[in-house]
Amino acid sequence: MSSMNASDAPHYVAARVQRAIAEDARTNELGIKVDVRGNQIFLQGQVFEEEQRAHLTEVATEAAPGLTVHNEVTCVQVGEPGEEELL
Amino acid sequence: MTIRVAAVADIHLSEASRGTYRKRLDGIEHRADVLLVGGDLTRHGTVAEAQVVADEFRDLPIPAVFVLGNHDYHSNAEEEMAELLRAAGLIVLDDSAAAVLDGRLGIAGGKGFGGGFAGKCASEFGEPETKAFVRHTREIADRWRVALKGLETEHRVVLSHYAPIKETLEGEPPEIYPFLGSYLLAEAADAEGADLIIHGHAHRGTEKGVTPGGIRVRNVALPVLGRAYAIYSLAEAGW
Ligand SMILES: [Fe+2]
Ligand SMILES: [Fe+2]
Repeated sequence: MSSMNASDAPHYVAARVQRAIAEDARTNELGIKVDVRGNQIFLQGQVFEEEQRAHLTEVATEAAPGLTVHNEVTCVQVGEPGEEELL
Repeated sequence: MTIRVAAVADIHLSEASRGTYRKRLDGIEHRADVLLVGGDLTRHGTVAEAQVVADEFRDLPIPAVFVLGNHDYHSNAEEEMAELLRAAGLIVLDDSAAAVLDGRLGIAGGKGFGGGFAGKCASEFGEPETKAFVRHTREIADRWRVALKGLETEHRVVLSHYAPIKETLEGEPPEIYPFLGSYLLAEAADAEGADLIIHGHAHRGTEKGVTPGGIRVRNVALPVLGRAYAIYSLAEAGW
């Protein structure tokens, strides 16, 4: 990937980061929302394990060097099966 | 007699999940008669991840029926994955059907694919790439009709990864709906009749919807459910 700086249009930076998160083998996450505000990047969405959250920060930071990544992604909480629904 | 169907999708197991998933299925035989798993079994679709899935689901006390999802195709190992699951005693549908519970319940389906929903969808026109995309979904839907037709069970359920209607996508950005499912899948089920359609893929979607023909649709993606699996009981044959 070519180098870039914080003056790149936020729209393209967000698209680049989102694409890196989808295509990088460390993440392969398709449902992460990426917002660029000034020199900050906000990541939102859900993953399955804590370890995946860390990889998101890593991949986003590499895809947009110089910007600060705020990882607001949460882990999916899985509860008991719950009640059955009668169809 | 009532059949209790447990269903979940998008479990996205990795090699790190080894030995951790099975406990979520403890006691499932007291709650349900069959388990349906709607694809995206793995993160990257590798053989190593497939082995984890096979081992976590092996020797369940109730029959378990699977389809694959787009993540399970990512490493071009989908056929090997299906073989590993079958070797572990699991049923894998690939645009095909299977009968379980002494022929009382038939399940038909496969991965499905995208294209969008009536009025806002791609068609087989223009560049070969566009035609191929839409044709893939149409051919899948055609095979589902054949699979459903062949089932002479008391109840029929369609198991898919991609969504058949847009109602259960609510919560996802509308711009990506064409990549999340296709109305052709619902049309096939409405034409042949089914009691229920189970799907996943839309992690930010909504659990409940219904096809234009009145078949109940349930998005059981794990992040949507927030619980180990959903349980739907089928009373009388409704089609
Ligand atoms: Fe998924
Ligand atoms: Fe998916």
